[in-house]
Amino acid sequence: MADTDEAAIHLPSHDSAAHIDTDLSDETQDFRMLSNLSFLADTSQATLPKRGEKDFEPNPTLYQADILDASRQAMHNALAHPRLHNPKNQIIGIYAPDGPAPPRSVATPKTLDTIAENDTPAQTAEAEESQSKKPAGTGTNVHPDSCVYVTNPKGQFFKNMGRADRWGRIWLLPEEALYMLERGSLDVRWPRSATGCEDDGETEDSGIPMSLQAAYACFIGHGGLMVDRFSVYSGLRRLGYTLIRAPGWYDEAEEEFEDPESTKRQGPGLAGIYGRFMDWLHSSTTTAVGPVAGLGIHRNYNDIYRKLSIIPFYDPTAPLPQNPQTKPPFRVVFHVYKPSTPFRKSAPPAPDFRVAVVNARTHTTVPTLAQLGTLLESTPLDPPKGEKMERNLYMRLRHGYRNVVLAVVDQGVVSYLRVADAAFGKEKLYNRPAPSGNKRGANPRNPRPKPKGR
Amino acid sequence: MTTEPTLPIPISYIAGNYYLFSIDAVTYLRREHHICGVLIGTLPQIPQQNVFLGLPLELMPEEARLLVEKGVACIVDEVKVQNQGMKALMEEDRKKYLRELESQGLQAMRLQASRKEQQREKTLKKLEEKKAKAAKSKKSSEDPEQAPAVADAPKDDPLVDLFADSQPSSHSQTTSRRTSTTVAPENAMGITPATARPPLPAEPSSEQLLPMPQVPSSYPLFAHLHAEGYFLSPGLRFGCQYLAYPGDPLRFHSHFLVVSAEWDEELDLMDIIAGGRLGTGVKKGFMIGGAEKKDNTADEESVRTFSIEWAGM
Repeated sequence: MADTDEAAIHLPSHDSAAHIDTDLSDETQDFRMLSNLSFLADTSQATLPKRGEKDFEPNPTLYQADILDASRQAMHNALAHPRLHNPKNQIIGIYAPDGPAPPRSVATPKTLDTIAENDTPAQTAEAEESQSKKPAGTGTNVHPDSCVYVTNPKGQFFKNMGRADRWGRIWLLPEEALYMLERGSLDVRWPRSATGCEDDGETEDSGIPMSLQAAYACFIGHGGLMVDRFSVYSGLRRLGYTLIRAPGWYDEAEEEFEDPESTKRQGPGLAGIYGRFMDWLHSSTTTAVGPVAGLGIHRNYNDIYRKLSIIPFYDPTAPLPQNPQTKPPFRVVFHVYKPSTPFRKSAPPAPDFRVAVVNARTHTTVPTLAQLGTLLESTPLDPPKGEKMERNLYMRLRHGYRNVVLAVVDQGVVSYLRVADAAFGKEKLYNRPAPSGNKRGANPRNPRPKPKGR
Repeated sequence: MTTEPTLPIPISYIAGNYYLFSIDAVTYLRREHHICGVLIGTLPQIPQQNVFLGLPLELMPEEARLLVEKGVACIVDEVKVQNQGMKALMEEDRKKYLRELESQGLQAMRLQASRKEQQREKTLKKLEEKKAKAAKSKKSSEDPEQAPAVADAPKDDPLVDLFADSQPSSHSQTTSRRTSTTVAPENAMGITPATARPPLPAEPSSEQLLPMPQVPSSYPLFAHLHAEGYFLSPGLRFGCQYLAYPGDPLRFHSHFLVVSAEWDEELDLMDIIAGGRLGTGVKKGFMIGGAEKKDNTADEESVRTFSIEWAGM
């Protein structure tokens, strides 16, 4: 038994590991691979390169130096690639450092209203005034942390990003604006108010494009967006996920509490009634004196096992005593949707994943049980469902009853950990059919093993 | 490649972290000072992947500190620079800058137009060749010489060195040849520059400078390994503090998982075993090191390192 375990540890370290988890983003890749791509000609055909060959250690050969130079040159070229906007499909955003505000043409001193929720009392009155003028206003729709607005929203990005105000402008949150600027899909302009330029009063657009550097300086640190969170946001976005801010984004915010699903009780059936009767019969005896299994006649082993399970266990399906109070960073800050999940930004569905972001530099220890517990309790009940789960005990345990994803960020390097609330106590091993006890049944990748003769 | 940025290189400090936005600075520091940092930005050419990332480059505080100590770089409060700089930007600067951008945008547009033209010609040529080949093969047997012509056809130079003045390769020729493809000024490509200098002044003023970065207690070990010629990167992926590479990570695998410890710190034996096994499992050495405490403080701090390997007996 011990030997097979040891062998299993030895095995992946040789060659099989190379096939199983070649996560290319794990290590720095040779940028020469990138220049082989003809991505500039046709972006639709851009495929990922194979892992480049690396050497073990430097040697003084000219050959190696040449390769290294070529690699660095390729990297330089790739990174120096400019972000260009074809005038045909250029999307222009205007930076609004003070948050959402109405357009200039409207915001004459008389009708100074604000369309955001961060109204000061004086502004609210005026906002109401203009509201009466324009009944179609969608004033409270825009997130108060938004800081870039787009006047000509087109393209696929606005399907799951930004909020429209009543003047047809889409307001972007800092992470959305920064992500789009970074990938070359958005041309953010400095507003005239932030520059020392002449103010002609017609439009806010100063025409000066905001550089990547300026965008980082303006957006990181704005509205709770720290770079750890942005790393997670852009990393998952790049992979195709849709992300929105969860209520736990703000440190002071009370977390909305989702009630666990009311567990449906099914009619017990005749066998069930018999079982309950037997339960009652057996549980009525005390274990204070005599054997734990109790005296009397035992009809089957299950009853005895049931008797022996005297240690209380944690039941994740039990209703929670009170609303969990999570503390940052161990609280959900992103709701993540798979690309396949139909997503409407006006009515986001239940998320596929909930992500908490942890900085590995400031939090060097594993979260305590209390921290993890409250974090898990803040997520809704997600019991294992489906035919595969029904059949396979280990998949059920792995899936758990609640789950959350921890994104651990160390200086731009992100690792994702899924934490699930496994319910070992609820899996009665003695209730399982006997022959599945062989070893191969334990493999979750192989849910239906052939019975092995012993 | 030969572009040398002016020293000291300004490192942008934004909300607690250190960044580089200039590609020349990134290349220079990597080549001359073995500072790699971590690229965290999206590469605009292929934005939907995480294997190749782009600017900005995030620096560890240790890296930033090392560069400042060497006198190669200085720390700049970027938020202040941006706000003050843009406020100080006058109408004339704006116009000049916008003109510059427009001419660059026009150049980019022309390049793209000419490349499209070239591609069209190439495809047409290929089609013709195919036709000719088909005709030929009808007449006689197949001609093997046609194959390589097709193979090297779609190789096209990336647009990358648009702003770098270093590479006067085929681009200038093609553009000069195709001056006929004029582009109207309103059709100029919009450009999002990577750095904000210009239009902002290249030299930060003294009030925008920040003191040395605060570094964790593992800094002596970091500096020691760096001085020994190792390239260091954050070690989260392998559960350690730093990964030590014998050469540029572009070309070499890392050799050590590095964990720093205090000289008098009591270590858990389990940690050493776990680290040793993990390191051996990923074909790396597990290294513990730290600054040795000495009685005479005048002596330079010496760092000692220990490499641990799981013998597996």
